[in-house]
Amino acid sequence: MDLDKDNANPTILNPSDLPSRRRESNTGKRDDGGSGLFDNLIPRYNYLSDPFDDPVSASDSNDDVVENIDEQEIYDLISTIADPEHPLSLGSLAVVNLPDIHILPPISPQSSVSTVVVEITPTITHCSLATVIGLGVRVRLEQALPPRFRIDVRIKKGTHSTDEAVNKQLGDKERVAAALENGTLMGVLRKMLSTCE
Amino acid sequence: MSDIQQYLLGYDRNKKEASATAQHSANRLQSGQLKLLRLVGDLGDYFNSEDGAIRSKTISYLAEVLAATPQKVLSLQQRNLLCDFVLSRTEDSEGLGSCAKALLALEELGKWDDGRVVSIVEALLSNTHPLRQYKQQTERYPVLRLIDTLMAKYREALRAHHTETGDFLPRFISYFDGEKDPRNLMVVFSILRVPMTEWNIGADAQELFDAVFNYFPITFRPPPDDPYGITAQDLKDRLRDCISSTPDFAPYAFPALLDKLDSTSMNTKRDVLQTITASVNEYGPRTISLYSITLWDALKFEILNVQEEDIAEETLNGLAAIARTLSQGASGPLNAYLRPIIKECNEHLEDAPTKQSQASARILHKIAQVSAEVTNILLAGVLPTLFLLFQNADTMAKRRGLLEVLIQLVRANVAIYGDWRAPGAAGDQVGANALKEFRGQSLEVLLHGLESAPAKEVSFRLVCLDGLLQLSKARQLLSDDDVGKTIEVLQNVIIHEYSYGKDELKEAAVNGIVDIAHQKPQVVVDKAFPAFLAQLPDSDADGSRSYSSVLEAFAKLASEEKIFDTVLLRLKNKFGTAVQQGSSSTYLVALLSAMLYALNKGEAKLSQSPETSTYYHDIALPLLQRASSSDSSHPSAFNDESTLDLVGRICGLIIRSQTAESQNAISAELYTLFRGTPQSDLPPFNLNAAPETDKTMVISTHLLASVRKETALPCELQLLTTLLAEYAQQPRLSIPVRSASLRQLSLIINKYYSASGLKTCMEPLISKFDLFSSEKLDTQRIRVIFACLKGIVLRSSPVLNTLYPTVLSLLSHPQHGSTVAHGFTTLLQPDDLLTKQNHCQISGLHKQKSFALLVPNITQSFREASAETKPNYLIALSGVLRWMPFDIVVEEADQLVTLLLQSLDLKGIDIVKEATIGTLASTLVEKPKILEEYSGSLISRLLANATVSRDSPSPARVRVAALRCLTLVPEKFRQETVLPYRRQVVKKLTIALDDKKREVRSAAVKCRAKWLEIDEAGDDD
Amino acid sequence: MSTPTPMITRLSTLSPPSNSRTWQTAPHPTQPIVATACSDRSVRIYSLTSFTLLHAITGGHKRSVRSCSWKPHTQGQNVLATGSFDSSAGIWRKDDGDRLEHEVSREIGDEESEDAEEYQFSCILDGHESEIKSLTWSPSGQYLATCSRDKSVWIWEELEDDNFETVAVLQEHDGDVKCVAWHPEEDLLVSSSYDDTVRFYREDQDDWVQVAVVEGHGMTVWWVEFEGGKADKHDFRAQREGLQDTQLQHIEALERSGPRLATCSDDCTVRIWRRKPREGANTQNSGMPSIIRSAAIDEDWYQEAILPRAHDRAIYSVSWSRTTGLLVSAGSDGKIVVYKERWRSQESNGTTNGAAMEGVEGADGAAATEETETSPTEWVVVAEIFSAHDVFEINHVTWAKRADKGKRWDGEEVVISTGDEGEVRVWTLDEAVSRL
Repeated sequence: MDLDKDNANPTILNPSDLPSRRRESNTGKRDDGGSGLFDNLIPRYNYLSDPFDDPVSASDSNDDVVENIDEQEIYDLISTIADPEHPLSLGSLAVVNLPDIHILPPISPQSSVSTVVVEITPTITHCSLATVIGLGVRVRLEQALPPRFRIDVRIKKGTHSTDEAVNKQLGDKERVAAALENGTLMGVLRKMLSTCE
Repeated sequence: MSDIQQYLLGYDRNKKEASATAQHSANRLQSGQLKLLRLVGDLGDYFNSEDGAIRSKTISYLAEVLAATPQKVLSLQQRNLLCDFVLSRTEDSEGLGSCAKALLALEELGKWDDGRVVSIVEALLSNTHPLRQYKQQTERYPVLRLIDTLMAKYREALRAHHTETGDFLPRFISYFDGEKDPRNLMVVFSILRVPMTEWNIGADAQELFDAVFNYFPITFRPPPDDPYGITAQDLKDRLRDCISSTPDFAPYAFPALLDKLDSTSMNTKRDVLQTITASVNEYGPRTISLYSITLWDALKFEILNVQEEDIAEETLNGLAAIARTLSQGASGPLNAYLRPIIKECNEHLEDAPTKQSQASARILHKIAQVSAEVTNILLAGVLPTLFLLFQNADTMAKRRGLLEVLIQLVRANVAIYGDWRAPGAAGDQVGANALKEFRGQSLEVLLHGLESAPAKEVSFRLVCLDGLLQLSKARQLLSDDDVGKTIEVLQNVIIHEYSYGKDELKEAAVNGIVDIAHQKPQVVVDKAFPAFLAQLPDSDADGSRSYSSVLEAFAKLASEEKIFDTVLLRLKNKFGTAVQQGSSSTYLVALLSAMLYALNKGEAKLSQSPETSTYYHDIALPLLQRASSSDSSHPSAFNDESTLDLVGRICGLIIRSQTAESQNAISAELYTLFRGTPQSDLPPFNLNAAPETDKTMVISTHLLASVRKETALPCELQLLTTLLAEYAQQPRLSIPVRSASLRQLSLIINKYYSASGLKTCMEPLISKFDLFSSEKLDTQRIRVIFACLKGIVLRSSPVLNTLYPTVLSLLSHPQHGSTVAHGFTTLLQPDDLLTKQNHCQISGLHKQKSFALLVPNITQSFREASAETKPNYLIALSGVLRWMPFDIVVEEADQLVTLLLQSLDLKGIDIVKEATIGTLASTLVEKPKILEEYSGSLISRLLANATVSRDSPSPARVRVAALRCLTLVPEKFRQETVLPYRRQVVKKLTIALDDKKREVRSAAVKCRAKWLEIDEAGDDD
Repeated sequence: MSTPTPMITRLSTLSPPSNSRTWQTAPHPTQPIVATACSDRSVRIYSLTSFTLLHAITGGHKRSVRSCSWKPHTQGQNVLATGSFDSSAGIWRKDDGDRLEHEVSREIGDEESEDAEEYQFSCILDGHESEIKSLTWSPSGQYLATCSRDKSVWIWEELEDDNFETVAVLQEHDGDVKCVAWHPEEDLLVSSSYDDTVRFYREDQDDWVQVAVVEGHGMTVWWVEFEGGKADKHDFRAQREGLQDTQLQHIEALERSGPRLATCSDDCTVRIWRRKPREGANTQNSGMPSIIRSAAIDEDWYQEAILPRAHDRAIYSVSWSRTTGLLVSAGSDGKIVVYKERWRSQESNGTTNGAAMEGVEGADGAAATEETETSPTEWVVVAEIFSAHDVFEINHVTWAKRADKGKRWDGEEVVISTGDEGEVRVWTLDEAVSRL
C-alpha cells in the first residue's frame, strides 16, 4: 500500500456511535414514549390558527431560554473537520472525542474569559500531520467561538511521540497567526474545514 | 478571358466569385460547351508556373470544378485520366489539399476499381509521406478525409493489399505520425481503427498501438469559442475505441495503462480506468484471463486507499468488468481471478472495521453482482472465514465490521437472484443460490446479535437489523417461519425496549416491518398484528400511556398498501371498544390520530373503486353520528374542537372520493349531521343555538370542504353566505368555531358561485352590514372580508380589480389599519382545506393576478402614506410577498428592494421581517445584480437583525433568517463589492457567535466562515 | 495576593480602531504620536493629543506588520522601521514641519488612505528567511536589530540614509526569536526566544558575540525590556534620607550593575534580571570593550526577582517606566497589571515572598526565592484591571508621555495597551500610584 501516508488504514467509528446532542436531550423528551409521529398530522398552516394573531411571537415564546455553549457543541464544531489524509471526519477517526473536550469557567469573578481545552488523539503516535490537525481544530474554534473563549488545543498525553513540541507550537499565538497568512497551509486547512457543517 | 484566368483573379479578391466561376465551368462542361481536354489544356501553363501559389490555386480550381460537376458528365476513362493527372500533381509540394479534394470529388462521380484505390493510397504514401511535412491543417485535412473515405468504401481492397504487401502497414501507420490537430486526429483515429479491427496486424500490432497510445492521456482543451466543437471527450472516446479495438493490443496496452495509473493527476487516473474497463469488455475472456490477476494487483489499491470517490467507483467497474468478461469463458480463469480477491478480502476482514475492510466489502458487493456464478464463488470463498472471525471477534466494532461485509454480499445476492416479488438479473434460478448453504448460520448470527447486544451498541444492532431485512428479502431464501422469527425480534425492539438515544433502532425496526410487509404481507399480518394489538389497551383507565410508540408503529404499517385495509379496520375496532370502555380523551385522540395517519398514507387506496369501498359506512358515518349525538355513544372527548377537527379530517378524506350520489346524501346532512333535528334549529341558521351545536360546525366545515362543487347545498347559496357572515361575527364563538365558519364562507364562495355570480357575491354582505364602511370597521368584519377574499382570490376573478383597491384603502385606517395589513398574509397563505383535492377552484394564475393588482398599488400608496400608517403598507407588502413564488416577484424586484430594506427597520412585527428577509434572500439568489448597488444598507440591516440589541430583540427565527441571508452575500456579489465589508462583518458576527440560541450560533458560524473565505484567493503573493 | 482596587482608568480608545488584530504600539521618542502595527498589513499613526488617526501606512508589506520602532534623534523627519510576517523590514520617512498634523476621520473598513503618501516607503531590508517578530533601534539610532522565526537576530547599521549594512547575524537561539531590546547606555543587545532563553550580545573587535545567556523561564519568553538609565534618580531610590546602610549599599550596588532587565513569559511570570558588577571594573567605561577577546567580555546576569503572580495566562508584554520605575504587564488573560518596587519592611517580608513563590516554577524556584530573600527591596502590585480590552487578549503594553489637555502634571505618563480586537487604549493611573 502507498507509504506516503502515516496511517493508510485507520479504524473507523460508525456515525451512530458518535456522541450527538439529541442523544441526551431526546430521552424522555415525550412523557408518552412516542416519537411524535402524529404531531404533524395537522398542517402548520391550517384554518384553525387565527391569522390575525402573529404566529412568530407565539411560537417563539421559549425565545429567552438560554442554551449555553457546551462541550457537545464544541464537539459538533470540530468533529466534522476532514482528516488531511483520508476522506473521513476527525470524529469518525476518533481523533477528537467528547470526553477530551473541557470548558473551564473564568478564573476570577472579575474576568469574563473562559477556556476551551481540546485534547486530540492522532491516529498513530508518529503521525506527522498532528500539528496540521491541531491547527485545523484551533482555527476552526477561533473562527466559530465568541472571543470570550481562549482555545487550548493539545495532543493527548502519551498518544504522540513529540506531543510536547506540537503542543508548544499549537499554543503559540504568534505562530498560529503567521500560519494563517501562509497560502499553501491555508489551502490545506480550507480543505479540512470545507466539510464542516 | 478563360475561366481559369477569371478564377485566379477572383481567388484572392472574392472567394465566392471564384467558386462561381468554377461552378460556371462545371455547367459548361455539362452542357458540352466546354470540352474536358480544353479545360485541362488551359490549366497547363499555370501548372508550370514558377509561382507555387498559382499552381495550388489552379489545382484548387480543378477540384472545385469537379466537385460542382454532376454524375455521368464525365466518362470512366475521362475520370481515370483526371485521376492519374491529379495523382501526378501530388508530387508537387503545393496544393496537396486541393488534390485530395479533387480526388474525393472524382470518387463521388463514380466508384473506383480496387487497383485504382490501392494506387491512390500508394501514390500518397510515396509522394507525401509523412503527412506532417505539410504545415497547413487545411492541407492535411482533405487528405485524411480522402483516406478515411477509401478505408470506409474499399475495405476489402485495402485489406487485401495489406495482406499481399508486407511493408504496407508500417508505412501506412507512420504516414500519420506527429499529427497534432484535434480535427485531423479525430479522422486519423477512425482511419486506424479499421486495420485494428479488421486486418490481421500480427507483427505490426505494437507499432499500431503506439501510433495511437502516444496521444494518451488526451489533455486537449478546446478554445473558448471553438467553431469545430470538438471536445476533449470526443477525442478520448475515439482514442479509447482504438485502444480497446483488438486483443492483439493487450500485451502493450495493459502494462502501458497500469504504468499511467500511478499518475498524480486524477483526470489521467480516470482516463486509464475507463480505458481499462473498455478494453476488458472488448478483448474477450481468453485474453483477459492472461491479465486478470495483474490488473487486480494493480487496481485494488485505488479502492483500498481510496482518495477520490469517483476513482474508486471507476476501479470497481473495472474489476467487475473483468469478472463479467471471464464468466463468459471457462470457469477455470474466473476462479483463478476470484481466488486472490477472496484471499485479499479475507485478510482485511481480520482487522475490521477499518477503511480497508470497508473497501473489501465494496469490492465483494460490486463483483458479486456480476453473475450467479460469481456470487456463488465469492460466498463460498468469504463466508466461512467471515463466520469464523465473527465467532472469535473480541470487540463489537469488529463484529459490526464483519457483518457489514456479509450484508454487502447478501445485497448483491438479492440483485442477482431477486426478492420475493420478482426474480433478479440472473432470472429465476434460485435453486442454484449458494446463500442457501449459509442461510441458517447468517440468520442465527444476526438474530442473536440484534436480540442480545446491549442497547448502547446502536450501530452494531442497526447492522444486524439491516442484515435481517436483506435476508428476508432474498428470493425464496427464508421460510415463513424464519421471516416470522425476524418480525418477532423487530417487534420486541419496538414494544419492549426502552427508548435509547435517538431511538434509531426502534425507528429502523418499524420501517423494517414495513419493508417485510412489502415482501411478505401475510406473515406480517399473522405475526406482528396480534403482538401490536395486544399492546393497545381496550381502555387506558389505568392511565398508562405505554401504547404510544406501538400505536405509531402500527399506524406506519398502513403505508404498505397490501395491509392498509387491515390496519385501518383494526384501529377502528380498537377505537370502538375504547369508547365503550370509557377511555380517556388522550387515548381516543391518539387512536383517531393513528387512523388519520393511516388514511393519509393509504390515500391512493381510498380513491380506488369508491362505489364499492366500505370506508364511509364502516368508519366515517359512525364517527359523524357519535359526534352529533348526545347519548353515551358520544364520548366526552368529542366536546373538544380539536378532537372534532380530527374526526372531520378523517371523514373528509374518506368522503372526498365518494360518488356524487352519496356526497349529495351527506351534503343534505351538512349541518344536521344525522341528528334528526331540523337544521333551522342549528347554526348557522339559528344564531343562538346550544353551545355544543356550535362545536360541530368544525365537522361541517370538513364535510363542506370534501364534497364536489356540483353537490347540492342544504340551503340557498346567497342566504348561506349571509348567514355564515353574520354567524361568524357572533362574539360568543370560540376561536376554532369562528375560524371554521369563516373558512366555510371561503369554501362556498370558492366552490359554489358561478363566475358571474362571483362578481356580486359580496353584494348581500355590503347591503346587509355595509361591510366596507370605515366607520363600522372592526376586527370581526375584517375577518369576514378576508375570508370572502380568500375564496375569490384563488379563482382570480375580475371582481378583484374593484375589491382589492377597496380593501387596500382600509390600510390607512387609523385604528384598524394594521389589522387589515396583517390580513394580507392570509390571502395567499397555503391552506389545508381550499385545495384541488377538495374540488376547490384554483386558477393557475391567481398569484400573478394578486401580485399585479396589489404590489404596484401598495408601493404607490406607501409613498403618499402618512408616517404613522407607512408601516401598514410594508406589513401588507411583505404579507403578500411571503407566499409569492419568486419568479413572479423577480419582475418587480428592483422597485421593491428599497421598501423591503425599509421594512427591515420596523420594530416588533417580526413575521414581516422573516418574510422580507426571505424575499431578499431569493432576490440574492436569482437576481443579485439588483441588490448589489444596495450592498451597504443590505449588509448593515442584516447584521442589525442578526444580533440581539436591547431596543429591538428580534426573535431567534428572524436572527437565523438574517444570518442565512447574509451567508449568501459573499457568494452572490462580486468580490470587489463585498471585500470592503469583510473585516467589519467578520468582527460584528462575533456577537452572533455568542447568541443565547444554539441554532442562531450555528447559522452565525456558517455565515462567518463564508465571509472569512473571501479574499484568501491570491492573498499569498 | 490581595487584589488592590483598580487604580487604572481608561482615558481613551484611539479612533477609529482597526478592524483586525493589532500587535504592538510604539510611542514616538519626542512627539505626541504613536505607531501601531496591524495584522491588516498596515501601520496606523495616532495622535496622543486628540487620540485620533493621523495616517494609515499601507501598501508596503504583504503580510501582518508585527512590530514597529521609531528611529531616535532624527532631524526634521520621522523615521519608522516596520517588521512584518512577510519576513522583510521596511523603513518609512516623513518630513515634518511644513504641514500641520490635522486629524483625519476615516470610514471603518476603508483601507486606502489619501494620507498614506505622507509616509514614504524608503527602503526594504531583506535577509530573514521567515516572519520578523520584533525590531528596535539602538538608543543612538546607529543600529537596528531585527529578529525572526528563522532563529536569528540581525544587526543592521545605517551608514547613510537608506544604506543599511548587515553588521551581524546572531544564531545562538534554537527557536523563534520573539523580541529584541537595547541597553539604554551601552551597545548591549538582548533577545528572548521560543527556546525559553534570553541572550545578551555585544561587539568584540567589530564582531558581535553572545556574552551571556539566562534560562530562568520555563516557557517561551515573549518580551524583554531594560530599565531606564539613571533610574535611581527618579524611582523609589531617589529619596535617600533615613535609609539604613544596607539599603544605601544596595543602591550603590545597583548603580554598579547598571540598568536591569525585565522579562515576561508563557509561564505567567515577570522576572527581573541583574548584572553582577565586574570586580574592580567600574561601570563608567564598561561601554568600551577591552582589546582582546577574553572572559572579560562575558557578563553574568542573574535573576533578582520574580514579580508577584498576577496573570493566569501567557504574559505577552512588560514595560518599564523611564520616569517612575513602575512596571506594567499584560497578556492573554486581558489584565493590565502595574507593579512598584519598594523597600522591604520587616512585616511585609513574608507576604511578598509568598507572592514571589506563586510565580516560581519548578527547579528555578529555589534560585529565585534565594535571590528575593536577600534583596532589601520587593515588588508589589499597585494597580490592576481585568478585561482591559473586554474579552480580548492584550498583545502589548507600554508607557508614554501624556499629551492631551487633561494632563495633570508635567511628565505625567499614560499606559498604552494594544488589543487583539484592533483597539489601542490609553490609561491613566491614580496620582497616588504614579506621581513621585
